[in-house]
Amino acid sequence: MRLFLKLAWRNIFRNKRRTFIAGTAIGIGLASLIYVDAIVLGMEENMIHSATASFMGEGQIHRDGFRRTFELESSINNSAAVLADLATEPVVGHFTPRVMSYAMISSPANVSGVSMVGIDPTTEKELSQIDEAIIEGTYFASDDDHDIVIGDGLADLMEVTLGDRIVLTISQAHGGDLGQEMFRISGIFHFSIDGMDKAMAFIRLEKAQQMLNMPGEVHQIAIKFNHADIGRDEQAPFWERYSTDNNEAVGWTTLMPQMKAALDFSQFSTLIIGLILFAVVSLGIMNTLFMSLYERMFEFGVMRAVGTRPFAMGRLIVFEAGALAAVSCVLGVILGFALSYLFTRIGIDYTGIEYAGVTFRELLYPVMQLRQYILYPVIVFLLTMIVGLYPAWYAARMNAAEAMRRSF
Amino acid sequence: MISDNGQKVIVAEGITKEYSDNGMPVMALCGIDLTIQVGEFTAIVGPSGSGKTTFLNIVSGLDTVTSGSVWLDGKLLSEMSSRELSDYRRDKIGFIFQAYNLIPVLTVQENIEYIMLLQGVERKQRFQRVKEVLTQLGLDGMAERLPSRLSGGQQQRVAVARAIVSQPTLVLADEPTANLDSKTALDLIDMMRRLNEENGTTFVFSTHDGRIMERARRLVVLKDGRIDRDEARA
Repeated sequence: MRLFLKLAWRNIFRNKRRTFIAGTAIGIGLASLIYVDAIVLGMEENMIHSATASFMGEGQIHRDGFRRTFELESSINNSAAVLADLATEPVVGHFTPRVMSYAMISSPANVSGVSMVGIDPTTEKELSQIDEAIIEGTYFASDDDHDIVIGDGLADLMEVTLGDRIVLTISQAHGGDLGQEMFRISGIFHFSIDGMDKAMAFIRLEKAQQMLNMPGEVHQIAIKFNHADIGRDEQAPFWERYSTDNNEAVGWTTLMPQMKAALDFSQFSTLIIGLILFAVVSLGIMNTLFMSLYERMFEFGVMRAVGTRPFAMGRLIVFEAGALAAVSCVLGVILGFALSYLFTRIGIDYTGIEYAGVTFRELLYPVMQLRQYILYPVIVFLLTMIVGLYPAWYAARMNAAEAMRRSF
Repeated sequence: MISDNGQKVIVAEGITKEYSDNGMPVMALCGIDLTIQVGEFTAIVGPSGSGKTTFLNIVSGLDTVTSGSVWLDGKLLSEMSSRELSDYRRDKIGFIFQAYNLIPVLTVQENIEYIMLLQGVERKQRFQRVKEVLTQLGLDGMAERLPSRLSGGQQQRVAVARAIVSQPTLVLADEPTANLDSKTALDLIDMMRRLNEENGTTFVFSTHDGRIMERARRLVVLKDGRIDRDEARA
């Protein structure tokens, strides 16, 4: 065994240029896979963060059917008890109640339909990024319950600026009477998400409940977990525990199925890219091994002649494939690490680009995981050895006399 | 003809070998009957294409016969599997080819002990035996050299060392002097003959060099795949 390992190791350096080229090809393939995986993970993280941290949260609780009908009367059953339970829930990091309604917003210059959301500024701050997205004014800094925070797109549409007054008109719950209140614009935000910047207005929760004639009721509780994985885990017991009393608790994978599909597709894409890369690399390896084998036909003939068994001949080729793979993996890991590390420092700017209903709001940073530097090299190593089986089989079946005759 | 006294190493009976050359059948050997006894120093001679290499390949089990039978040390080659043949060659036959005998990435020491490594001989015993052979063949001080740093004659001497190191029953040499200058060629043959005389190792080698033939104690002349002459020499 040691003899053939030594032979294999030395053999791959007989033609250094060829080994370098083949090793570089395999190494680049491995580095590409490591980098693509890091980018995909980074993109996933960025998308999930952009989608959940902006406003949605990692999970939400509603009354059954509210997400479909958006009916004012469909408030969460026993919301006070649910909120109290959430306060003692160990997996929950933060949560915030909201009421939501369609409303008409009017200024002296214009009128438009918006989604009016009543929020608790204190708890909302822990969950969403409205406060961070403020570009003018403040985020409910005063105690005035007639403060309203709107998006810059809506402000442009209504031709209003900070401090201007606008009127919200809503249809009340439990009767459908019209309610109308005047608000003063205390803050203007910019999320780079059209749906929010042009069509959302935030007021205080109590004010919204009062306007909508639903004191103490809430339509939505947004949740942020201590571990982000729970939001993605559709089987987590949390969802079942809070899907009672005609309420439903769902994670972001249910709230944004298009994003989940996009992420699943990303993983599938990584797999396809990996397969294509390895298919190309495999052919390269096989070509290299066969070239090396054809060059040494006489030598192989001599080795067979002096008593090397067919299996040992094949094993030598597999070891050579392994030695080539080892060199290539070291190269690939170094390249992949350098590339991924570089972009974890400088980031990739996709901000403002929308994909699968999510707008990237932050620089995309590749996510480096130990798995990429262990699992992928191991796969490449094993694959290279497997690819080496065909030339190995050829070498094992070689007729020594024929091999030596063909060499002259 | 050679007497039938003593132990037979090779017994070839009516062996024929037919090749296909671009679809045309070519008879390389046509009914060869030959017996080699233990301790012989035999030269298979003849012009190019006379069947010398084919004969050596067949008697070593590297190639198969079209018809006829070959017994090596009493064993019928056609009844042995590929693996058995490999093991048999490893244990019973030493090989010397006309060139590129050695594994380029292994040192002289490693090349010589290669067969013993295949046999699983212990390190201490291997080193001792390699040392003995190196001294016997005048290769002292070259153990750590790679073949590329040896002359053609030195490489062939290392090949002889590898062939005899495991003390095989038979050494087959296919034109071992073909790539050597006259003096080195004669030195090599003399060295092989000395090993034959001192150790009793059976040597069968092919050549078409007249001066080399002079050193053989038995001359088997092949012509067009047939034995043209088989004579004992002094």
